[in-house]
Amino acid sequence: MGIKFYQEPKLEKPDLIVGWPGIGNIGIIAIDTLRETVKAERFGEIEPWDFFYPKRILIKDGELKDMEFPSNKFYFQRTNKKDLIFFIGEEQPSELGEAYARGEKAYQMANLVLDVGLKFGCQRVYTSGAAVSLIHHTTKPRVWAVPNREELIDEVKGYENTILMSDIAGRGGQGTITGLNGLLLGVAKKRGLDGICLMGEIPVYLQGFPIPYPEASKSVVEVLATKLGVKIDLSSLDDLSEQVERQIENLYQKIPSEVKERLDQLKYATYTKQAEPEPITEEDKKKIMADIDKFFKKKSEES
Amino acid sequence: MSENPRFKIHKPPNLQNPSLLVGWSQDIGKLGPRVIDYLNKKLGAEEFGEIEPEGFSSFGGVQIEDNVIQFPESKFYSCQKNNLLIFKSNPPRYEHYKFLNSVLDFAQHYDKVNELYTLGGIASLMSHTAPRRILTVVNQPESKEMLARHGLETGMDYESPHGQMPSLNGFLLWLAKRRNITGVNLWAEVPFYLAAVEDLKAIKYTLGFLNKRFELNLDFGDLDLKIRQQNERIKQLTEQNLEVNKYIEMLERGIMLSEDENEELTKEMTEFLEGG
Repeated sequence: MGIKFYQEPKLEKPDLIVGWPGIGNIGIIAIDTLRETVKAERFGEIEPWDFFYPKRILIKDGELKDMEFPSNKFYFQRTNKKDLIFFIGEEQPSELGEAYARGEKAYQMANLVLDVGLKFGCQRVYTSGAAVSLIHHTTKPRVWAVPNREELIDEVKGYENTILMSDIAGRGGQGTITGLNGLLLGVAKKRGLDGICLMGEIPVYLQGFPIPYPEASKSVVEVLATKLGVKIDLSSLDDLSEQVERQIENLYQKIPSEVKERLDQLKYATYTKQAEPEPITEEDKKKIMADIDKFFKKKSEES
Repeated sequence: MSENPRFKIHKPPNLQNPSLLVGWSQDIGKLGPRVIDYLNKKLGAEEFGEIEPEGFSSFGGVQIEDNVIQFPESKFYSCQKNNLLIFKSNPPRYEHYKFLNSVLDFAQHYDKVNELYTLGGIASLMSHTAPRRILTVVNQPESKEMLARHGLETGMDYESPHGQMPSLNGFLLWLAKRRNITGVNLWAEVPFYLAAVEDLKAIKYTLGFLNKRFELNLDFGDLDLKIRQQNERIKQLTEQNLEVNKYIEMLERGIMLSEDENEELTKEMTEFLEGG
């Protein structure tokens, strides 16, 4: 179990920005877009064999030529405002065939990523993921920001288009961040590093679909880029967003009209605490969720 | 090494740079386990050690096979007379990299193993009356000439499709290459409708290669009898079931079956052979 460096750049207190796949691949797409935008350079990797089964074999003329594993790579860039380290993990190490890491392997992976951050003087870590929300897909997703220290709350409150867990009605500031995008920040806290998880909202009815949700990634990139003082080019995300939007609209047309009517109510729903009366009632929300569950349960049984 | 808690040694073997044969308990056409059981029995191989399943198995209960409770086993056998080291195991559920390295650690430490052969079946869209072939994958190109001399196929091109994991045998071959151990994956073709039962013809063909390669002087009279019996059983089914007969005739003429037809043929054949 080790880390391989291709080069050891000299960096000054870099921020570590980390992405793994998750719901809608919101986090990894956001972080990878930022990495590409700043043209970060690859400088190391975590050796994959202890964490992953190979994903591809190449045999040519009867000879084993290559065995490919999910990649776990580090990149760096020095920007005007901040030095940055990126880590992109192609898969979360999972022992039970689940999509999210847990257990010993997850803890080992989190520590290896932080080992690299600490080696280069990192003091802060960002991760990103999905926030499954009662929103409509035509609504601009907000970003749920969760810091790993109380002292960071005020800073996070200043981010644009961002809310805290305590802003969400009925949650009392509680919640769970599944997998490594959450675990890493817990381990970072244990090791004395600041950490913030930025989760882009995805409509509840899209969480189970095997398609990305780049609109939420865009919201996350906007927050991160502002914070890091990086100029961003969102054209690649816009292209992807258009494609996905068409897929979602196609799907939406197939939904029975009574369910669609309920989903359309989400355009006017708010689930955050607010002074004004909500456009839809709690009872409406419950009905929407029940209809969504019923529809997608039926779909899944049919397939 | 001997203190490694994963290893349990009953009796250290005395082999000189042996060849290591590896087979997995669950296999297409039951090829790997049947070849190994046959060799162990005929060559009088002795069990001498095992890898403990802790950390590699789920322990979420037990499997029942042929009415009997099973438990994961990963056992080494030695055959001094023929200088063979044999490993038969349930595939690990977790920690594949660690497990496969343990197999090679064990084999290299106790016996300085110098070559590896993995045994496996590969489902093929062929009829059971067609001659079997063994497809090979090597980790050193020098091995190909010897394999071709034995009539094995040595020119396979393959890239695993997206989402399909490489086999455990391929993974082991790759690890062996990293340790400079010459290795070969032997893939015996098995008609797809015999995948869940024994394909005795493929088993015999694989044993035939090993017999020549390691000069084992095995007599396959008993296997020939079993093959005749299996063919006789399949004939009974084709006489009783005209659809099955039609599908097999189509395969014999090189006509592809539809997915539904493949499924039906497999279901009928498996139920009939397992029932009898």
